[in-house]
Amino acid sequence: MNRVVITGIGVVSPIGSAREKFWSSLVEARSGIGPISIIPTERLAVRIAAQVLDFDPAKHFDPKRQSLLDRFSQFAVVAARAAVQDAQLDITEEIALRTATIVGNGAGGMNTIDDSYFRLYGQDATRAHPLSIPRLMMNAACSLVSMDLGLKGPTFTIASACASGTHAIGQAFQMVRMGQAPVALAGGTEACLTVGTIKGWEALRVLSTDTCRPFSRTRTGLVLGEGAAMVVLESRERAVARGAPIYAEMLGFGMSADANDITAIDPDGAARAMRAALLDAKVNPEDVDYVNAHGTGTALNDKGETAALRKAFGASAEYLAVSSSKGVLGHSLGAAGALELAATALALHHQTIPPTANFEETDPDCDLDYVPNTARNAPIQNAMSSSFAFGGLNAVLVLGRA
Amino acid sequence: MDTKAGLQVIDDVRSVIADALKIPVERLTPGTRLDELGAESLDVIEIVFGLEEKFDISIPFQANDATRVTIGDKSGSKDMEFSTVGDVANIVQQLVAAKAAR
Repeated sequence: MNRVVITGIGVVSPIGSAREKFWSSLVEARSGIGPISIIPTERLAVRIAAQVLDFDPAKHFDPKRQSLLDRFSQFAVVAARAAVQDAQLDITEEIALRTATIVGNGAGGMNTIDDSYFRLYGQDATRAHPLSIPRLMMNAACSLVSMDLGLKGPTFTIASACASGTHAIGQAFQMVRMGQAPVALAGGTEACLTVGTIKGWEALRVLSTDTCRPFSRTRTGLVLGEGAAMVVLESRERAVARGAPIYAEMLGFGMSADANDITAIDPDGAARAMRAALLDAKVNPEDVDYVNAHGTGTALNDKGETAALRKAFGASAEYLAVSSSKGVLGHSLGAAGALELAATALALHHQTIPPTANFEETDPDCDLDYVPNTARNAPIQNAMSSSFAFGGLNAVLVLGRA
Repeated sequence: MDTKAGLQVIDDVRSVIADALKIPVERLTPGTRLDELGAESLDVIEIVFGLEEKFDISIPFQANDATRVTIGDKSGSKDMEFSTVGDVANIVQQLVAAKAAR
């Protein structure tokens, strides 16, 4: 089995789309949550989100190409290009033929669906745009990454709602580890801040109307976000031989299903995925220094996740540093796991634990060390990144210091 | 709200809840707690949705704090219990009256 390392990170995020800016915002707890400005809000009860505001597609795509890309595909392609550049990866024909491209997304081309249906049902249009289907299909982002970079190996999309990005990176990790692909480009993307999607989330009654405060007693719910993150994974041997930068080593991947509730977290299921990831990584619970939590900021998740961490880590949970990045990133659903994996890899790289932003008060039901508001310089040998999706699908990755 | 209209609201509330939970309406008395009826979090928000549609009102219910609802108007806001069938009917009556007064 190959040892697998992360050699490139590319992000498009509400807190910056250059890797350095993304990291400094995380460390300084500078939130990307703000008033919604990318869509009309008069019909919305919840008018805040973590939007990618500095993204101009015309800077990245010529007009003809741009018309083929829904916003979720634009994000994925731009993040993928940045990851490849960051890894200083030369995509030769030999590498291109074998590189795996795996992208997670929960919703597909929601902007295209929303616009198209508004024209059909709201404006009585008689026809849809001919690019509607190629733009909205679930695998559009993945296919457009492969087309943009000329990657011709195993290529597919994973959809598991809020765990999509984590499942995608975990799957890519396993393929590189087993030698099925020498290099993989994997991550997640989401851009579903449309009127239709937000109305759907409003009806679930879990959205905050002010901000996201993970694990804080004063938390009022989650805040939707958008963005993408892609990472380059390759065998350690290959990375060292070509002198590539190494952010972190991928050590383990664990998955589980709750087979229980369609929306509520199940501490048993979440803990099983954490234990499976630790077992796969051959890392003992007491040797994990940092967990980048799912931490959505809902009453139910944060309490359930705390119980799951206690179940998976036992007595060593007391010494664990846990933080959620959703106070700054919002919840970008299918992209969230990938953005948070990027944050976890950067935490290992910088030996700095990014804080839980907007933390106000300790909750008796959430009684771990959540690194409130201020980053911490601390030695990190091993770290974990967790995603627990609607539908009870859990995915957890364990990383080690490079 | 006169008594007759009030009774009609209670009847409608009971039928919306029974419909969402797929149980006979006879099982619902004002003192019946929603959780006793096996209502899980998604059932509760389906009930809220059903009531909003039925009465054309907005119920400021949040899953984050699922046992009460804060209802506000110009004269201030008050917390109302959201646990029993009777609690739900009270909230609906309040909101329906507020709507009629506008």
